[in-house]
Amino acid sequence: MTTCQRCTETATVHVTETVEGRRREIHLCGPCARRAGLIAAEEVPPLPLEGVVQGLILAHVGELVGEVAALTCPDCGLKFMEFRRGGRLGCPRDYEAFSIGLIPILGRTQGATRHVGKRPRRPARGVDRLRLRSLLRRAIAREDYEQAARLRDQLRLEDGDE
Amino acid sequence: MNLDDLTGTSGEWLRGSGPESDIVMCSRIRLARNLADFPFINRASRGEKAEIEATFKSKIIQPGELELSYLDVNGMSSLNRQFLVERQLISREHQAADWPRGVAIGPRENISIMVNEEDHLRIQVMLSGLSLHDVWDRINRLDDQIEARLDYAFSPQLGYLTACPTNVGTGIRVGVMLHLPGLVETKQIEKVFRALQKINLAVRGLYGEGTQAFGDFYQISNQQTLGKSELELIRNLNDVIPQIITYERQARQALLGEKRNQLLDKVSRAYGQLKTAHQISSEETMLLLSSVRLGINLGLIDDLEIPTVNELFIHTQPAHLQRLQGAELSSDERNIARASYLRTKLGNGRLPETE
Repeated sequence: MTTCQRCTETATVHVTETVEGRRREIHLCGPCARRAGLIAAEEVPPLPLEGVVQGLILAHVGELVGEVAALTCPDCGLKFMEFRRGGRLGCPRDYEAFSIGLIPILGRTQGATRHVGKRPRRPARGVDRLRLRSLLRRAIAREDYEQAARLRDQLRLEDGDE
Repeated sequence: MNLDDLTGTSGEWLRGSGPESDIVMCSRIRLARNLADFPFINRASRGEKAEIEATFKSKIIQPGELELSYLDVNGMSSLNRQFLVERQLISREHQAADWPRGVAIGPRENISIMVNEEDHLRIQVMLSGLSLHDVWDRINRLDDQIEARLDYAFSPQLGYLTACPTNVGTGIRVGVMLHLPGLVETKQIEKVFRALQKINLAVRGLYGEGTQAFGDFYQISNQQTLGKSELELIRNLNDVIPQIITYERQARQALLGEKRNQLLDKVSRAYGQLKTAHQISSEETMLLLSSVRLGINLGLIDDLEIPTVNELFIHTQPAHLQRLQGAELSSDERNIARASYLRTKLGNGRLPETE
């Protein structure tokens, strides 16, 4: 649970904005967000039933936030929360791995979630090679040079096949 | 092509011709592209970055059909890297990085392809004046040629995949560089910016994101890259730019009509200072050249051409000046050398006279 940046309540409003190329995340509780003008002022006091629904929504969204926060790319190892902090993705597969967290962000910032426009004329063959490279990186990290050599040969072999 | 070849010349995009070139300095499109089988730059190891560079060189530069020259930016002195920034051939981020990277440059400097910037490839095409469709035709063809030899990271749903989600989809940034001294002088520029921001267009300084406007030059570009086709995004900009041009022309005519003497005074003083100064900073030079450029466009100065002024904008910047002098200079020495260069270039020009 994130704490409101202005008081000690739990933050329920999460906003990401980009000002002059720098990303900034704002986490506020409902009343503070309302005071900051980020959400509309309450005009009528909520009915008890709405309160219950609100609670259910919050509980559900809270769970989703936790799930999204735990996402890690199987290939490059980037965590979703690292992306939220730095604003940059680690590899092409992140778009798939972080899809549930990323698509809503694209909807908000780009106003769309589907590409319209130019497409490559032939399908890319690189996706499996991205996996091979990540295995190679890991083999080198754990000093398994035999495995690393095998993977490197496999990558080179494919280069030669082209 | 090497840096010495570039020093004495200036890019074709500075030649001051093409539609609306009194106000539109140049049109520029860049495409962000990544190879499908490598991590993005911020996650790639040094070795992988070197491999990306080698792959690009062997598949795009070596075959030679594209007539591109490759410069190794990583092995370059900081002065030479600064030179490429002033030339608009690389970005400040690319200049400041410290890993294997380079730039491929096309004939007449209309093309530059940065390798290992934020994305594996940043392809850029620039032309003088307002000619976005022409720029698009060229960059689209170039992109096809590269794509035939390299596998781009692409998803059927999200389009071209980029390191930052603000570029995903088309990966396109369509921009025009405008000279807007009239709107600045009549203090209407803020109003124009506010209107542009409402329709999702970004306004930036001469050197892109996060930079200040120099000498009344502004870059206007799209922000959205997903959900609209390249041609729609180009059309959006093409619809708006003529209106800004009209506002700028109206502002210039208003100045000519209502404040002719003040305008003439400003233009003449600027021209006079540039011709007679013995030390001058690059910021002051930019401001004065902006007034002189306006003076030429309004017919107040008739013995100087726009391409010369455009060239002076670039050649009086720190790295250019030092390369032209063939020596590294301190800030004070540069100010003296700059003034001397300007006196030589503008020496015999006549000052405008009051009617």
